[in-house]
Amino acid sequence: MTAQSIPADLLLSAIREAGVQDVVLVPDTHQRTVLDLLMDDDHIRTVHCSTEDEAIAVSAGLIIGGRRPMMQIQHAGLYASVNNLRGVGLDGQFPIVMLIGLLGRDPELEPEADGSSMVRLCRPLLETLGIPSYLLDGPDDLHHVAAAFDEAAERGGPVALLVGTTTS
Amino acid sequence: MTDRTPDNSEVQRMSLESALDVLARRREEQVVVGTMTANGVWREKSPHDLNLACIGFMGGASTLALGVALAQPERDVWVIDGDGSLMMQLGSLGTIAGAAPNNFLHIVIHNGVYETSGSQPLPSQQQVDFARMAEGAGYAQTASFGDAEEFDAALDELLAAKGPTLIQLYTRPGGRFYSARPTPPGITPALARMWPPVAEALAAD
Ligand SMILES: Cc1ncc(C[n+]2csc(CCOP(=O)(O)OP(=O)(O)O)c2C)c(N)n1
Ligand SMILES: [Mg+2]
Repeated sequence: MTAQSIPADLLLSAIREAGVQDVVLVPDTHQRTVLDLLMDDDHIRTVHCSTEDEAIAVSAGLIIGGRRPMMQIQHAGLYASVNNLRGVGLDGQFPIVMLIGLLGRDPELEPEADGSSMVRLCRPLLETLGIPSYLLDGPDDLHHVAAAFDEAAERGGPVALLVGTTTS
Repeated sequence: MTDRTPDNSEVQRMSLESALDVLARRREEQVVVGTMTANGVWREKSPHDLNLACIGFMGGASTLALGVALAQPERDVWVIDGDGSLMMQLGSLGTIAGAAPNNFLHIVIHNGVYETSGSQPLPSQQQVDFARMAEGAGYAQTASFGDAEEFDAALDELLAAKGPTLIQLYTRPGGRFYSARPTPPGITPALARMWPPVAEALAAD
């Protein structure tokens, strides 16, 4: 299996169709083509954070205020944000959907077999935290985006979507 | 060995109670996020169904409040932050200034110490000036007070102007110390119980 690049406009459509109002982000190199579209989008607001733990707290605040946010970060940001992911996301039972770019992943390999610790440890960490995750390894996987919001709401907690290769 | 005595010689400091009294007198329907020692005192002075607390994710108060402020632009949102807490996520000053919510009031309780964990000194040893940092980050207005009467006299004007506003309040550390009790297994965490009623109250308005 080889992971396929997802065109930015398709990912943006999936984000729109999921009803996302705010994208709370720290730039992810891997999803930069999507970011370019998001920043020009008239309907979706982007909130730019200095750190990923801020992005989690901002997302939680937006949810309290009645909005539907989505986080967009990269794998390194997941590692950087663990205390807020636990203390806000899990303890607050906030339905936060996180779009996480697996920058540098070898598209021929399962992430767990990757030579990069940033790629390799992502799913095991999420599993340890009890956060469900779905790999977006091509346009056929985009149905997971809307489904992630449903699952996050149902279970009361974060759900992760892992962008398997650089968006085009 | 570290000198644990806070260097209070330079700046005038008020009691935390008198500082929060000034704010509590202006409390209406603002969402207020408290944290650390100020949170307990605030909840006594201003019990309200729109109080939220940052407990268990040190440093997250300001950005939790930012999210609420961005979601509810017609409603004022206050955060009562700790100096050590803000140091931990200092980048939030830039995040808040960038998002520029004009309904956002950032109160920083500058007691110069990590009071909750046993009054250890901050790395900056009292010198850090959050008002200047916020000004540098791009907040719309900043101010500092070490006297409750002066704070009281100036606050209405500060509240009337557009935010984001940061007010640094120099307070005397009070030696309050909190240690977490064990949590019984299977209990719903406090944060998960706290926010849904706030969300409901905001949605109903
Ligand atoms: C990530 C993290 N590191 C360390 C601690 C330990 N800790 C708990 S309270 C506290 C001090 C808080 O200081 P400040 O924000 O200045 O509030 P104050 O207690 O002075 O009101 C510290 C260091 C923690 N809770 N979380
Ligand atoms: Mg302090």
